[in-house]
Amino acid sequence: MQSLGVSAAAASVAANAEATAKSGRAGGSDGDAPSVMGPNPIDLTLTVNGVKHAMKVEPCTTLLEALRLHAGLTGTKEICDRGSCGGCSVLIDGVLAVSCLMLAIDCAGASITTVEGLAKADGTLHPLQEAFIRHDALQCGYCTPGFLVAGAWLMASTPKPTLPQIQQAMAGNICRCGTYTNIFNAVLEATGQRPLIDGTIA
Amino acid sequence: MSNQANTDAATLPPLANRPLNIGSSMNDDASRLDALAKVTGAAKYGRDVHPANALYIAFVRCPFGAATLESCDVDAARAVPGVVEADVSKRQGNYHGATVGHVAADSPLSLRRGMAALACRWKRKGDVVTTIEQGIEAEPELPVDAKAMIEQAGDRTLDATYSTEVQTHSSLETHGACVDHKGDSAVVYVSTQGTSSARDGLDEALGLPASKFEVVCEYVGGGFGSKLNGAGKEGMLAARIAAKHKRSAYLFVNRAEEHLDTGNRPSSRTRVRVAFEADGTIKGGHIQTWGGVGPNRGGGGVNVPSGRYRLGQITTAHADISLNGGMPRAFRAPGHPQGAFAEELMLDEVAARCGLDPLALRLRLIKADAIREMAELGARLIGWDKRLVNGAQAGPIRRGMGMGVTSWGRFPSSVDAEVVVNRDGSVEARTGTQDIGTGQRTVVGIVTADAMGVPLEAVTVRIGRSTLPPGPGSGGSVTTVNSAPAFMEAGKAAATQVLELVAGRTGAPVNELTIAGGEVRRNGAKVMAWKDACALIPDTIIGKGRNTQKTVAADKTTGTSGGAQFVDLDVDVETGVVKVHRIVAVQACGRVVSRKLAESQVIGGVIQGLSYALFEHRLLDRQTGAMVNPNLEWYKIAGPKDMPLIEPVLWSKDKEAAGPRPLGEPPTIPTAGAIACAIYNAIGVPVRSLPITPDKVLAAMAGKGGAK
Repeated sequence: MQSLGVSAAAASVAANAEATAKSGRAGGSDGDAPSVMGPNPIDLTLTVNGVKHAMKVEPCTTLLEALRLHAGLTGTKEICDRGSCGGCSVLIDGVLAVSCLMLAIDCAGASITTVEGLAKADGTLHPLQEAFIRHDALQCGYCTPGFLVAGAWLMASTPKPTLPQIQQAMAGNICRCGTYTNIFNAVLEATGQRPLIDGTIA
Repeated sequence: MSNQANTDAATLPPLANRPLNIGSSMNDDASRLDALAKVTGAAKYGRDVHPANALYIAFVRCPFGAATLESCDVDAARAVPGVVEADVSKRQGNYHGATVGHVAADSPLSLRRGMAALACRWKRKGDVVTTIEQGIEAEPELPVDAKAMIEQAGDRTLDATYSTEVQTHSSLETHGACVDHKGDSAVVYVSTQGTSSARDGLDEALGLPASKFEVVCEYVGGGFGSKLNGAGKEGMLAARIAAKHKRSAYLFVNRAEEHLDTGNRPSSRTRVRVAFEADGTIKGGHIQTWGGVGPNRGGGGVNVPSGRYRLGQITTAHADISLNGGMPRAFRAPGHPQGAFAEELMLDEVAARCGLDPLALRLRLIKADAIREMAELGARLIGWDKRLVNGAQAGPIRRGMGMGVTSWGRFPSSVDAEVVVNRDGSVEARTGTQDIGTGQRTVVGIVTADAMGVPLEAVTVRIGRSTLPPGPGSGGSVTTVNSAPAFMEAGKAAATQVLELVAGRTGAPVNELTIAGGEVRRNGAKVMAWKDACALIPDTIIGKGRNTQKTVAADKTTGTSGGAQFVDLDVDVETGVVKVHRIVAVQACGRVVSRKLAESQVIGGVIQGLSYALFEHRLLDRQTGAMVNPNLEWYKIAGPKDMPLIEPVLWSKDKEAAGPRPLGEPPTIPTAGAIACAIYNAIGVPVRSLPITPDKVLAAMAGKGGAK
């Protein structure tokens, strides 16, 4: 998998939408009459971090709203609400996507991973979460879930990412406090590489 | 626990890939106490609180720089299913984002539909003022003395005008509050920089006495100065609507509103007219500044001259220019980055005119010895000896180096600290401050642990609640400076009470007892395990510490924090694109409490300064006064690919600095100026206007005065 940035996250959304359209989940393919949904709320079940969440949502509900308001998973943040900041990043069937630009109904049947799902069920942290803590790769922490999801997605495909690969994979994420340097160090360390400036104590 | 001076320039090996700051702090290794909650998504910010049955609220806002509301269908909004309230009380707006009313509904979707149903029709009113230049009637005359000095200096004068654009705080968690209404009481979740002060006014809005509600602010998604005004108009409206409908209420503004109406760093224009001597000595002159503020004047000050350099006899004048744009608020070192940009670039221009190295000139002009030493160290670390003279390079990619200095004063602030020791040996440190990302929670924990002699893991820090003893607001870089002495006192008081119990039990003199390594010791030998000592506590022990403005003002162990930053960058003169490669930031902050957090503060300040220097620009439409980029797509903030290698160096050489000094603000002051100087060095002409975007670089090189 190539490293993808902001446009890449958007592209992966488009690719995913295409996939769901082909599978018929979004209604209307292969000559079938398009199924009509809404405007009233419809039943929807989302599989998030391996858990099924049943909800009743209007078809215009974004995946981000469904996660935060209906599934109670508020780790995924709304920051820019237009695909520019990466704060609402999630993995959909393992692919990085910004959940503010996706309809919840398009994700029925998909396996969704949010920041709450990065650690194992027994609480064992993802190596990147541990590295974020150790390298102080967060300040206010509001962008942190998005960076972690993007970083975990990068690590899943690229065992030893270079600094430019890390920067490219996270190009769709914005941090306002200014933690980028420590984030890069965290990814480098989590992938068994030497940080840019080694500020940790063994 | 060591406090070694590890920044002695004479003994330094090369910087890259070495743990330069290790050994310099009270706690080198601790990670922030709330890091686990933040990396797992468990941290609940105010915006994450969604009580069942809450009302969702939005402001109705003016869409232009100046406009009259001609019509608005409030009845249609009220008729939308789910809308419980629609009220538009004002008819005029004098900036984009000015509030004229609100809608409340029982879900975000109903709220959106209600807002759309209003179908507001606005008529624009005449011309709008969107830039400082538009508001200046005439360039001011020089004062008599400055005029005489400049006339006498002949050619050795500089007359230059520097300008900066409005920077929005762009906190990632927007401004707002959620009122969890519980009938005869309430919990108010506010995203604020002042938990204790956020209570003010809410009693009236909620119709509840202060004893019947609590302000909670466990986590804040960024503030940078814009969240210092208590509960804000967002919290006040949410409280009033909650009280009126006896329901929970939620009002967090959206991204566009955050840009438009939650404060900003005002724009600036600085005209410098100075006389200098052949050796670069500045004789003096006159500096006129303007600040581009909101419709009401105030808040546009530009901090130049900064007082960090000897600039001779300078007179100053300032005027605020009212723009049809959102109001300014304090923004991390208010007035300073814009002033430092003008001052540093001015010095580089004087140095170039005199044929001097700008570092050599500055070393003569810097007033504080410590800052001069930091500048010498930073120059060595960046490799200043490889700097070429301005404009000496050919070819498409040109390298430049620049520098700037900083300082920040100490502001006293009151803090009440409590340290509770429980019978099981656990310790709680309590004060009503908040952690906006600076790491204040962790600082309180480290100081308490250090004062008592217990491990950090034994300490639970309770902050972010208005029911705790009053703590400081996060503004002016005061929280660590002022809470550290209070928690030192409280921690020692609590420890002493435990030791007195041990003394009573064992007969050992209390002044010979210490706490270390999980036990109470006498002359280094174990007397009792810490847990056993705490089991002697009859109920709980509370140690108290108080810092008043008076005690801090008298404290000689704290004071000003200086710093110096150095930039190494490339400019592509064919495209005008600037690529910053390295920034070395030498920063004093007195006694370092936490190495990791202190480094993060420096790195963050540098990155915000870089973003200010190269990207950030609130763009108002000249015709309508509407902000054309109220989003994070076209309001560009530095991202991962814009990052240089940033090397924070914590200056711990100051032997008098037994206490912590301010750190939040100073590292963001000099960065933009240092970058501007480095660009000047690379291309040979100064770009006197921030942000230094590629078009300005190309215009400056084409002799079109990208400068203005």
